[in-house]
Amino acid sequence: MSSLAWLEAAGLAAFWSAATIGLYVAAKRLNQRLRRWWSSPLVLAPVLLIALLLALHASYRDYIGGTRWLLMLMGPATVAFAVPIYEQRAMIRRFWPVLAMGVAAGSGTSILTAYGLASLLGLNGDLRLSLLPRSLSTPFAMVVSGDIGGVPDLTAVFVICTGVFGAAFGEALLVWLPLRSSLARGALFGMGAHGAGVAKAHQIGAEEGTIAGLVMVMVGLTNVLAAPLLAMALR
Amino acid sequence: MSLHATTILFRRRLHMSRLGQMALMVLFWLAGEALTRATHLPVPGGVLGLGLMLALLFSGRLSVASTRRGAQFFLGELLLFFVPAVLAVTDHPELMGWVGIKIAAVILVGTVTVMAVTALVVEFCCRWSMDRVQPRMA
Repeated sequence: MSSLAWLEAAGLAAFWSAATIGLYVAAKRLNQRLRRWWSSPLVLAPVLLIALLLALHASYRDYIGGTRWLLMLMGPATVAFAVPIYEQRAMIRRFWPVLAMGVAAGSGTSILTAYGLASLLGLNGDLRLSLLPRSLSTPFAMVVSGDIGGVPDLTAVFVICTGVFGAAFGEALLVWLPLRSSLARGALFGMGAHGAGVAKAHQIGAEEGTIAGLVMVMVGLTNVLAAPLLAMALR
Repeated sequence: MSLHATTILFRRRLHMSRLGQMALMVLFWLAGEALTRATHLPVPGGVLGLGLMLALLFSGRLSVASTRRGAQFFLGELLLFFVPAVLAVTDHPELMGWVGIKIAAVILVGTVTVMAVTALVVEFCCRWSMDRVQPRMA
């Protein structure tokens, strides 16, 4: 690569990274005041970025080439979950059988509804397979998607849609369902809406937030371990 | 300075430094990645790193004080790392239109069902185990 091309690539990377971080921070601030589903940093920031991409006639490859390092930070962010898990070890020891039941029921429902509904609406092949792991948090889901023959970057988009829908409708569900235990309220968000759900659960209560975070990690781990079996069943 | 004194000094520094703790988490992740590549395990590197860090925390070799600030940053800004992933839709024009609406419907109905089933199962397990431990007054 000539030095000029290298300079251009570095400039593009710096520009798109700055745009992503800037719009994320702006959306986060706005969301703290408005708290609407559309003001979530996961909705507002991508929508504005897509508008910017279209306005500048830039390509997805330019964008993702410059911001891939942000996606890679999901790795250390996964490691960071060790800290809340360790701090909540007493609660885990006490409640893990109940939570494991919830994770098993939720994962089963998730796979069956995704497969059933997709077939019903005539979505087949890659798309249907990419929809299966959408209840997992992103780093896990992308691995599972690849394992079972889906398209990992499509799965990432579906996972994020799941989080946004789940966080938005979870509160309405809490009104309708006769839930007395904070365990059930936390599991609802951790299983249904992962990252975005955990953030929402923390707003409802500290205990709910902890349970949601824990359930999210449990879901990811069990499903990554079960994925090779699922892949065999689908072939 | 003796080696022991140096480690103590290093630990004290790490307790204060968010950046140092973040670097520590990146190191755990890289170790996990290297391990998955070497062993061909079907687990993401971050998950192995998480396991590694948990093991060190439980064994007492790593104190929570030297990880908490770094973890707070990564977990607090979790959504930022997902933003670039959403832009993948621009690379899939087939999602615009009818197929996209169908997919949104699958995700919406599926998610609400999953949340309801999970919450109800946990709720009934809770009530059942409570009743067994301390029978409710009739």
